[in-house]
Amino acid sequence: MDESSQADEAAVRRIEGYISKMPSLSVTVTRVLEICNSPATSAHDLNRVISLDPVLMGRVLRLINSAYYGLRDKVASLPRAMIMLGMNTVKNLVLSSAVLTAMAGKKQAQGLCMERFWLHCLCTGVTAKWLARAKDAPRERLEDFFVGGLLHDLGKIPLNDLFPNEYQRLLAATARDGLSLHRLEQGTLGVDHAQVGGMIARKWQLGREQEDCLAHHHDPPGAGPEHALVVSVVALANQLAQGFGIGNAGDSAPDAQALRGLCESAGYADLDLEQLRTALVEEVDRARVFLQLKSGEKTGEGAP
Amino acid sequence: MKVTFRGVRGSIPCPGPETVRYGGNTTCLEVRFTKPDRLVIIDAGSGIRALGNHLMRHDLARGLRQVDLFLTHTHWDHILGLPFFVPMYVPGMTIRIHGPATFEDDSLEKVIRGQFEYKYFPVRVEELACTIRYVELGEGVLDLGDGIRLCTKYLNHPVGCLGYRFEHQGKSLATVFDTEPFQNLFALDPSDPDFDPAIAREGEQAAAEQNRLVERFYAGADLVVHDAQYTLEEYLTNRIGWGHSAMEEVIEAAGQNQVQNLALSHHDPDRTDAQLDALAAMLCTPGAGKATNAFFAREGMEIEL
Repeated sequence: MDESSQADEAAVRRIEGYISKMPSLSVTVTRVLEICNSPATSAHDLNRVISLDPVLMGRVLRLINSAYYGLRDKVASLPRAMIMLGMNTVKNLVLSSAVLTAMAGKKQAQGLCMERFWLHCLCTGVTAKWLARAKDAPRERLEDFFVGGLLHDLGKIPLNDLFPNEYQRLLAATARDGLSLHRLEQGTLGVDHAQVGGMIARKWQLGREQEDCLAHHHDPPGAGPEHALVVSVVALANQLAQGFGIGNAGDSAPDAQALRGLCESAGYADLDLEQLRTALVEEVDRARVFLQLKSGEKTGEGAP
Repeated sequence: MKVTFRGVRGSIPCPGPETVRYGGNTTCLEVRFTKPDRLVIIDAGSGIRALGNHLMRHDLARGLRQVDLFLTHTHWDHILGLPFFVPMYVPGMTIRIHGPATFEDDSLEKVIRGQFEYKYFPVRVEELACTIRYVELGEGVLDLGDGIRLCTKYLNHPVGCLGYRFEHQGKSLATVFDTEPFQNLFALDPSDPDFDPAIAREGEQAAAEQNRLVERFYAGADLVVHDAQYTLEEYLTNRIGWGHSAMEEVIEAAGQNQVQNLALSHHDPDRTDAQLDALAAMLCTPGAGKATNAFFAREGMEIEL
């Protein structure tokens, strides 16, 4: 049964309208505008800034997968998409998304903190790639794990923006009572961020693997068996990123013991969590420098 | 299939004594199919104006009621003739405008309509007498009816741009403009601070793969009309990334891909007739062992396939 058929129809219609004009994250927007308006921008800079924003990443992948009919598999690689589409086309696309953000202003203050949300997305992506490498995943597949992690919570953006008051209450309830955010979303809004993530993945033609990452990161067994590894890795990465307390996307965070249990049951009993945490902090610091972010929330600080 | 070059210039019309023999109008190709009669126009550069006048004089009385226009892309030099294409002002005429989908808010229709905004042109789309239908295309294969098969392929130009390959009664025409070879955009030098071996490798693979696919797209065609705006020296000096090809490379690739006839087109607006003659003498001399007949396209040139 189609999951969205269970959801509130009016909410789904609003969400679908939102998805087609989803703005990029406010965290990256200044740097995006700077990079896209510079005639001397390098492909590396453009690649980097897109890699740091799940909306920009999703939109570029959407364009490549819509345009190139003959693709045997959906393209999840940003460098490949940039070469096939060309720098100018990608720049223009990214710019239009950033302009939507600039027009939207700073109304997100009510619900998710966008900087913390961004940190969580980035950390989940980096962690998923780290976990895949630890499992000796083929080099050419590592980027798929990163993208799955980066994009996994995209479904929260429409909910946060379209239902700011309700979402703020849900976030508060999750933080206060340690309840599951996606269950609360389902109860209050009739749709949860995983379902919305699935809608985005389908609308943007991100491919079945990414669709499963977005729609099943709270329910890995629900993913197709061929995507079980990547979805379970993204699910674990999501928990780890929350447990480390670097960034926050509204979910309640597991404690250290629970994290260890999750790692063991996923076959990562030997994972050096401290080493991973150090790597994440370094990666986030590099991203901050690149985005020229002022020192806001300290990277290494604990829970939200 | 009969192909008539109505405009062979790139970038901007450039009439004058130095371009009079090869022509100064921007890109427009007239393609006639017989049994049954079908007309296809590729691109609406300034060359489409004279074609429109020709259609009014010779085809309207013979029952022309529909025109199929295929836009390779929507840069100015490929659409600027459209407002001066007289069949647009004929009641009962249907113009089907095919072109690359943008997959964004700016649909093909929105882009074309923009050209007819009051500030740019006195006649608005709503005031045109003809009916316009928009057909957005991606990569793929289409049956156009009457035994005409169309294959499309994305090219490398700074906007979505499609190559068209028409096949009819065993003959084929491929348009490969505006384009340049796909490039790896990422650093290959390990001493470059941006160097990332995985990205460099992926970039190399993606560019090579797309270039192979473009060559496969036009391979074996009876006529290929290819972007050849620059000499190799010009291209390598400072024009990489501008979206146009180097004629020497185009000729070599066409030879390797069993192209029968190669029309080098989209001439640079600064290229004089004398310079094109000299380049033709240097690059297009028919010689033993050269399977491809390469030449520089001229406005008014007709080729029967």
